[in-house]
Amino acid sequence: MIVAENIAKTYRTRTGPRRVLEDVSFTLSMGERLGVLGRNGAGKSTLIRLVGGAEQPTSGRVTSAMSVSWPLAFGGAFQPQLTGVDNVRFISRLYAQDPDANLAFVEDFAELGPYLREPVRSYSSGMRARLAFAISMIIEFDCFLIDEIAAVGDARFHERCNYELFDRRGDRAMMIISHDPGYLRDHCNRWAVLDAGRLTAFDDFDVAQDHFFELVSAGERHGAATAAQPFVRRLAAIDALCRVAHADAQFMALVREADRARDRHDWAVAEAGYAAALTLHPYERSYWAQLGHVLREQGLLARAEIAYRTACAYGEPVRALAPFIASVVQGGAAAHDAIAAPDGGPTRLQPPGYPDLALIAALCSGAERLGEGEALALLQGAQTIESVLAGQSAAAPSLPPAIAVVPRADAPLRAGWHDDLARLAGARPEAFAAALARGEAPLEALRSAGGLEGWAAIPDPVLPEECQA
Amino acid sequence: MATNPPLPLSVHFAVQRRVLGALLIRELLTRYGRHNIGFLWLFVEPMLFTLGVTALWTATKSAHGSDLPIVAFALTGYSSVLLWRNMPGRCVGALEGNLSLLYHRNVRALDIYAARIAIEFAGATVSFLVLGTVFILIGWLSPPEDVLTVAGGWLLTAWFGAGLAITLGALSHEYELVDKIWHPTSYLLFPLSGAAFLVSSLPPAARDVVLWIPMVHGVEIIREGFFGSHVKAMFDVGYAVTCALVLSVTALIAVRWAAKRVAPQ
Repeated sequence: MIVAENIAKTYRTRTGPRRVLEDVSFTLSMGERLGVLGRNGAGKSTLIRLVGGAEQPTSGRVTSAMSVSWPLAFGGAFQPQLTGVDNVRFISRLYAQDPDANLAFVEDFAELGPYLREPVRSYSSGMRARLAFAISMIIEFDCFLIDEIAAVGDARFHERCNYELFDRRGDRAMMIISHDPGYLRDHCNRWAVLDAGRLTAFDDFDVAQDHFFELVSAGERHGAATAAQPFVRRLAAIDALCRVAHADAQFMALVREADRARDRHDWAVAEAGYAAALTLHPYERSYWAQLGHVLREQGLLARAEIAYRTACAYGEPVRALAPFIASVVQGGAAAHDAIAAPDGGPTRLQPPGYPDLALIAALCSGAERLGEGEALALLQGAQTIESVLAGQSAAAPSLPPAIAVVPRADAPLRAGWHDDLARLAGARPEAFAAALARGEAPLEALRSAGGLEGWAAIPDPVLPEECQA
Repeated sequence: MATNPPLPLSVHFAVQRRVLGALLIRELLTRYGRHNIGFLWLFVEPMLFTLGVTALWTATKSAHGSDLPIVAFALTGYSSVLLWRNMPGRCVGALEGNLSLLYHRNVRALDIYAARIAIEFAGATVSFLVLGTVFILIGWLSPPEDVLTVAGGWLLTAWFGAGLAITLGALSHEYELVDKIWHPTSYLLFPLSGAAFLVSSLPPAARDVVLWIPMVHGVEIIREGFFGSHVKAMFDVGYAVTCALVLSVTALIAVRWAAKRVAPQ
């Protein structure tokens, strides 16, 4: 059993002491697998180092009556100048184990071949990770500390790791830290959330996950000002936004949930999941393709085509999706060259996806939702974002607070769409928001925030009022 | 170990021996590798130093204020300098490069220092023994008059060096300045440490000052053992032991203090 009593940890920094952990207490017994969720910088790794004894707490204490591993798959415990063999021998000596038996195991498990006899500093990061994991498995600890193991090696190696760790050693105590809730749900039987140095324990995973997501979204609201960059080139923006999406635990949880529903052919649930995920991150293109697949399975062909074309417009490979588009287009196959793909140039010349059309529609008509038929016609028309905007007849005097960016009658609304609009027009988001707050008309506000520079003629926002007069 | 009865001391010793053994081999392999003569460099390197200094002093006929042969003088003097100077040299910054070792529960900061000190002690001692034996065999040196006194002086110097090494090593983890200052200090201490003179050959005023330097006593004891009747060695065992003792306690406190502050990656 491991008992942590009121441990606190303070690091001294140039700007004064920084408290990383505060009054953390928990116990961990054989067979318990504690999953600790926490955002980046929440203090997860510090906690694991304290439990592992590599560091001392500033106050409080950790007592353990079990043998505790070093953080698993941690490669830093190697001496890089030494060979893999020497490192295995060192660990074997340190823990009074038979070096030859261990060497045989590592040779078989890590599959490093002749590299095992080369200095570790010549290894690739994947080889290092394999060696680290293999060495971690040669000592039979009572308690394993696991720090984000999900990223180790290829799928096959990952499978073997999971077998060695969670199957063969399932009776041990474990403490796993991660910012991936799904991983912790699958492997743990107790959960806790670490935030602002404090640990909150949960017996139920869903409660823990909800609590974690609340913290994540609170953190995002806090940091929203720095999130949107005024990209001019769309593919660069999309690549950046995909990374942002993958770092968003809530997004990842939604798509994992949806993937599971898709795998059991529960198409409607999967569609709702992908739609919710894409509402959070409308430019994560690969899930537009997934959304297309689950729509197609339900026979919702028009919406499937919208989703596929959006995926292509955001850079998913046209060649892979063309057969699917052909299969959902009513009344004949779509020609290959009629599927628009981005070319790395400025945003205004790129093909629009459904979210862009929804943004432009909301900008010009103030509508919260964009009809399927209208959107599909625009997507099929080989237009650019610029030409779609120029083709609008009017501009709305004010913007709705939230709009739907996914084609679905009951799709959730996206509140952050003003930033999306600013990004689309190449305007600075904070300047755009300030201009709107000053009472400027939306198009004027975009222009005064530096957006729409060099774009073709756009409808004059004053026109509709003159017509009325 | 809240729930378990304390383990017998023999188990702790076994663990400690294992850890030190593993660290020693790791350290030797890391430092010397398996190329050419491998870990033999541990002894050859100080031997080369001592031989070089002996040759230089012989060539320049350095004055050392006695009628001792220069070879004998250089061997005893420079070997003991290597002993107290190399230990801190290897321990300053030792923790920094080995932080990841602390992930292994049985490895403590003190073990890392102890392993390095053991290696330096072995290197300097073997070099001293081998060169001494060779010089005696070829007749450049007469055998020591009192081997036990030589051993006592040698061990006292080693003890002092170890305490100094751990203290400076632990402090260097927290203060970079220690590293910067140790190099010039050790360089300046070399001529003052008794390696290049006999205390009795100095003017009385200088003797009193020089005898405040702890290393001087160790060298003088070694010379007393080696040459006994030929020289008038001046030392105070009580003072030297007190210095080593105080330094040892300081070292243990400093390690504890530094260990509380380490933060491995």
